[in-house]
Amino acid sequence: MSRRIAIVEDEPAIRANYADALRKQGYEVVAYADRPTALAALRTRLPDLALIDIGLADDIDGGFALCRELRALSASLPIIFLSARDSDFDIVAGLRLGADDYLTKDVSLPHLTARIAALFRRGDLLSAPPSVEDVIERGPLRLDGKRLTAYWAGKRVDLTLTEFWMVHTLAKYPGHVKDRDSLMRDANIVVDDSTITSHIKRIRQKFMALDAKFDCIATVYGMGYRWNPGEV
Amino acid sequence: MKSRRVALGIRAQLLLVLTVFLAIPWLGYEYVRELERFLRDAQERTLAGTAQAVATALHDRPRLFEAAPVLGNTLATERTPAADGPPVVPAVAPPPAPAGQRSAEIEQIIQGLSRTTARIWVVNRDLDVLARAGTLKGARTPSPIPADATLPRLWQWLDQLLHPFYALVLKQPTEEFNEEQSGRILLPAREIDGALAGILTIDRRQTPDGKAVIVSAAHPIWVGDQVRGAVIVEETTNAVLAERNRAFERLFSIVLATLLIGSVALTLYASRLSARIRRLRDEAEAAIDEHGRVRGAVAASVAGDEIGDLSRSFSSVISRLSQYASYQQNMASRLSHELRTPVAVVRSSLDNLRLSPLPDETRVYIERAQLGLNRLTHILTRMTEATRLEQSLGDAERERFDLVKVVAGSVDGYRIAYPAKTIVLESPGDGIPVLGAPDLIAQMLDKLVANASEFAINDAPIVVRLTRIEESSEAQVRLAVENEGPPLPLAMQGRLFDSMVSVRSEHVGNEPHLGLGLYIVRLIAEFHGGSVRAENRIDGRGVIVTVTLPEASSSQL
Repeated sequence: MSRRIAIVEDEPAIRANYADALRKQGYEVVAYADRPTALAALRTRLPDLALIDIGLADDIDGGFALCRELRALSASLPIIFLSARDSDFDIVAGLRLGADDYLTKDVSLPHLTARIAALFRRGDLLSAPPSVEDVIERGPLRLDGKRLTAYWAGKRVDLTLTEFWMVHTLAKYPGHVKDRDSLMRDANIVVDDSTITSHIKRIRQKFMALDAKFDCIATVYGMGYRWNPGEV
Repeated sequence: MKSRRVALGIRAQLLLVLTVFLAIPWLGYEYVRELERFLRDAQERTLAGTAQAVATALHDRPRLFEAAPVLGNTLATERTPAADGPPVVPAVAPPPAPAGQRSAEIEQIIQGLSRTTARIWVVNRDLDVLARAGTLKGARTPSPIPADATLPRLWQWLDQLLHPFYALVLKQPTEEFNEEQSGRILLPAREIDGALAGILTIDRRQTPDGKAVIVSAAHPIWVGDQVRGAVIVEETTNAVLAERNRAFERLFSIVLATLLIGSVALTLYASRLSARIRRLRDEAEAAIDEHGRVRGAVAASVAGDEIGDLSRSFSSVISRLSQYASYQQNMASRLSHELRTPVAVVRSSLDNLRLSPLPDETRVYIERAQLGLNRLTHILTRMTEATRLEQSLGDAERERFDLVKVVAGSVDGYRIAYPAKTIVLESPGDGIPVLGAPDLIAQMLDKLVANASEFAINDAPIVVRLTRIEESSEAQVRLAVENEGPPLPLAMQGRLFDSMVSVRSEHVGNEPHLGLGLYIVRLIAEFHGGSVRAENRIDGRGVIVTVTLPEASSSQL
């Protein structure tokens, strides 16, 4: 049974292009132009993944409202925001509403499909036993490359895909400085430097919520970031 | 920069205009003199009337003039004791001679006609005084200004204050005059001569001591066709004088008070006007800084007059100016936002195209389109950088960090990023604590070094210099980036750090230039409480951009 992806996007050309691309990948795609029709259709049958634009025509924050409603219908439905808006405020707001990822429209279709595939994989494997290969352990940090999940001292750290890939890149070679370009490449995003800075800031905050003394991600000014092995 | 010198302020101008009203006292003086003339005429007419009335009572009574006079016959003189004594009446005086009885008869007649303020004489043709009544000094002199309880206190006070002045300027009526010369009262010879010639004659004369003026009227007494005697009525001008003085004093006091109150009111009004105008000027000057940037708004006044109107129009001009400035600053970000959707359409279409089966020769075009699109995306990202930075500055956290370490680390990075350039770091050995965001400082240095490397001529080194300056109150740190290269055009020096201002000519590189780099530098410097300026090197062969930041004091964490 093919997976079903819902696209809610007000721009017809983009909607059609994304739908075409995803269909080529073998997904079943349903596309909606605004919030009411999308919500009406999705209530009757939930998709396997939702791709939502924030601004829906005149409904400036329609995507946010839709995300909240979908999250209320299902706690596990993967939701991705895909928006032209790239301010920290929008990103934080989107992720707080329970979205699994936030992408700007600069993302290329191959990057997008890679993310969608990764999200499905994470959902599929979450219940399966952890495979031994593809697991990185760095002190208290445990990264499961298959399920795309991170653990700190045994507790799960709730990272988005972008954040997970960044941590993965840094932790793979502790002590090596990763510049912003390589972080972007590995996380499959195209953003400016300050967005990387705010991603790193959010990752630190998520780890510090579990361990106030967390300081494994060091800033190397003028170059990038580095994973400090830490004293543990 | 501003000349605050005002040659003649509004207050001074208004007071100058007020001097026109100084003509009022002069006008008043002219008016009072006219009044005096009128009163004198009236007095003369009254005296003439009295003389005529007395004469009328004595006409055609030849019997009265037959007797010889008792009171001596010298040329119209009389002894003083008699003048002061009570009227000679038969009851009091010893039985007089028949002639005296006749005189007493005349006296009885004129006694009835006499007034308190006048003296009446009756003489015969030989200038013998037949009778006399009244006295000059008995005239009641009205007090200069009657103390009126209804007058305002201020008024009385002003009167008291001015009284010595009036006494000096105006001639005061007095009862202290002396009309005697060597013990005799002189009768006005000219009037008597005129009257005895049959003509009503009026004249005035000064008392011998010059202290009073006496007005006298003489009327002939007819018996048949013959003039048998004359009636002379005399009065001092004291009453008129007192009246005149009173009028003048009153007028002068009113004018003075009006002028005083007027100038105080005008001065207050002018002060208020000029204060409002000065406040408006200060607000207008404060609203725009020396670079022409709108700093604040002018509060629109609610006053309904022209100054209020001016203030409102200033306010709206400034707010329009600031709207325009913010429109200009946000234009880049809005433009990029608007462009993102069509770019996404192109990108997703290209991606789809790439996934379709296409002949190989078309691949190269797709690649080229992709390259162009990437550049376009890069430009859009750069365009939003300043806006994103402005947003993130709002909630950026400040921490205490070592500026030397951050700068040194960054310079290491630039040596890798710009392998073709020599980058020299000059910094003090020990650390410099600064309060702020190290990420932002690094971002600021990125812009400065990128800028410098672009303008530096081939192998000249870029110098990053960090110095501490200990000035009077607080320690500051100066971060300078210097490169050898073309100097800044003079006209641009003040505006370089504004949004979308660039001195680059078109040919430089293939990076997009939106003039946002130095604007970002300024935002970050200001976020740290510092400032930035760009200037040409003294030798004119290079440019130094200097960021001055306050050093964190030991108490700040």
